Amino acid sequence: MTEQSSILVTLSASAVRSGTILLFPTLGEIITERSGVINLGIEGMMIIGALFGFITGNLTHSPYIGFLVGMLAGGLTSLIHAFISITLRGNQIVSGLALTIFGLGLTNFFGQDWINKKFTIPVSSIAIPGLSKIPVIGPVLFNQDIFVYFSYILVVFMWFVLFKTRTGIHLRALGENAQAAGAMGVEVNKSRYWWTFFGGLMAGAGGAYLTLVYAPFWLDGITAGRGWIAVALVIFAMWNPLYAVIGAYLFGGIDSVQFQLQASGTTIPSSLLNMQPYLMTFIVVIAATIVLRKRHIGTPRELGIPYSREEK
Amino acid sequence: MIGLIIGALVIASKGTNPFTAYKALIMGAFGSSYALSETLVTATPLIIISAGLIMVFNMKFWNIGAYGQYIMGAIFSSFFALNSAPTTSPFLLLTMMSIAGIIGGALWALIPALLKLVWEVNEVVTTLLLNYVALFVLKYFMYGPWRDPASHGFPLSKMFSPNAQLPIILNHTRIHFGIVFGIIIVLVIYVIIKKTRFGYENRVIGENNIAANYAGINIFKNTLIAMAVSGGIAGLAGMTQISGVIHMLQLEINPNYGYTAIIVAWLAALNPIAVLVIAILIGGIEAGGYHIQMIMHVPFGIVGVIESSILFALLGGEIFKTYRIDFRRRR
Repeated sequence: MTEQSSILVTLSASAVRSGTILLFPTLGEIITERSGVINLGIEGMMIIGALFGFITGNLTHSPYIGFLVGMLAGGLTSLIHAFISITLRGNQIVSGLALTIFGLGLTNFFGQDWINKKFTIPVSSIAIPGLSKIPVIGPVLFNQDIFVYFSYILVVFMWFVLFKTRTGIHLRALGENAQAAGAMGVEVNKSRYWWTFFGGLMAGAGGAYLTLVYAPFWLDGITAGRGWIAVALVIFAMWNPLYAVIGAYLFGGIDSVQFQLQASGTTIPSSLLNMQPYLMTFIVVIAATIVLRKRHIGTPRELGIPYSREEK
Repeated sequence: MIGLIIGALVIASKGTNPFTAYKALIMGAFGSSYALSETLVTATPLIIISAGLIMVFNMKFWNIGAYGQYIMGAIFSSFFALNSAPTTSPFLLLTMMSIAGIIGGALWALIPALLKLVWEVNEVVTTLLLNYVALFVLKYFMYGPWRDPASHGFPLSKMFSPNAQLPIILNHTRIHFGIVFGIIIVLVIYVIIKKTRFGYENRVIGENNIAANYAGINIFKNTLIAMAVSGGIAGLAGMTQISGVIHMLQLEINPNYGYTAIIVAWLAALNPIAVLVIAILIGGIEAGGYHIQMIMHVPFGIVGVIESSILFALLGGEIFKTYRIDFRRRR
């Protein structure tokens, strides 16, 4: 293998890891939005998952327990949003924003003593026999850690559930026409709670992956807007788990390229390099929206509209 | 109330007595004339930004980008502050800086407005992403062309000369002329949204934009104007903060007020006059938050927890308001 291509492989493999941070929350939000609830609090749930996953990982010396607790922390946080937007039918946009402010504040408060602490237990890569031997694709996709494999399984699983099962039909019906879903015998609010909780679990997973594997350290505000990029990626992915992969890795790629450029001591100011993921997301969201309009693929029709049985 | 209880639980969970902390917070916010003056200094940008946000929230246009518009206003106005002779008349210079701040914020706000109007691009996402872009633009200037060579590598601009500083209006405090801007803006926005046809049309757009379209309301024009006003005002807030308080451009110009102002606008039930009161209360929590961070080492994040919890309680409580109205109607 030539030197250039090996650099490319290393870069791509790191793009996949960086993309995984975004892939979890994007998947979660796709499911939440499909069920008719918009949760803009991803950034808040992510950073709560990031901190509590990190602390647990450090206390238990286990990245796996840390990851699970991070997920759970994100999930529990999402229940605040679920309660306000589903049960109390409050404004979902503002509630999501409040959730982000809540998450950033709470983690600033509890994270104070952990700033710049590291998580020192490495999560080793596992080469999948056979698959990891495929040139280029093998080392990029199949010589990763267990959390990355977990995200692969989730993508396929969520796609399957969403489009090939009864549960998926019900889930999509919730977001398209909750009255009809209710008539089909779906318990609208209860289901929406579950799917919102699932979105929270995934956001927590993304955050925990960031602080336990990718970084792995804690800094105040470490998610740095990745939650908002995930919100944008949901649109890019047209609410389809399979496309979420492309979006997440694309941005993982931009992130690792700009990081490598900085490490290599380029003369481009770092501020302009750091801007790229956000600027690119901005441009891609515009492009995706234009494409969606042309193809008449829309947002789940009743996204953000609360459901109550007595309103007929 | 619920917000304060949740805040207390969080503080207590770290082994600090929440009552002592709250007492200190209130003292730091309203307990002395100095504390009160700091509260008003903090409330100033909140008043200004919230009043502008109400303009667009009324039409259900979700401008989450006050953070970025504020930064752009600060950058644009700094251009004049850093590039004019120290002998320029203060009135002229401050006017130019204000106009530049308004233009900076308005331009930054028009981008997502146009994207929404032309291609229906989700404005929550675009305004938010532009916040991060604006932050890095600021970083670019602070680490690049505008860094003061004498700052020893710190990302600070040159100190503004006195003619580029908004006058202090109360001796021995940091209360500056920006608060006068704030009060004027609140009154003007109040008149616009409650007493003019433009304000009425915008409310109709917010209620039902299909009906608004049938009624012959020009949604395109109204949205553009409202967003330009909202962003321009946020930009002006950025200008007043660097010109009135910080006296230079730097990374820490408190753009987070752009998010806090969203809370203020909602707690004020989108009423500009109520903004004056709510902004002082929230400004008090912020000023008190700094105070307890300094004297008790309670991290400032507690302020975010309290503010967001208050907002949760308000959002959750809206259902009871709706039900009461329903109930009356049925009778």
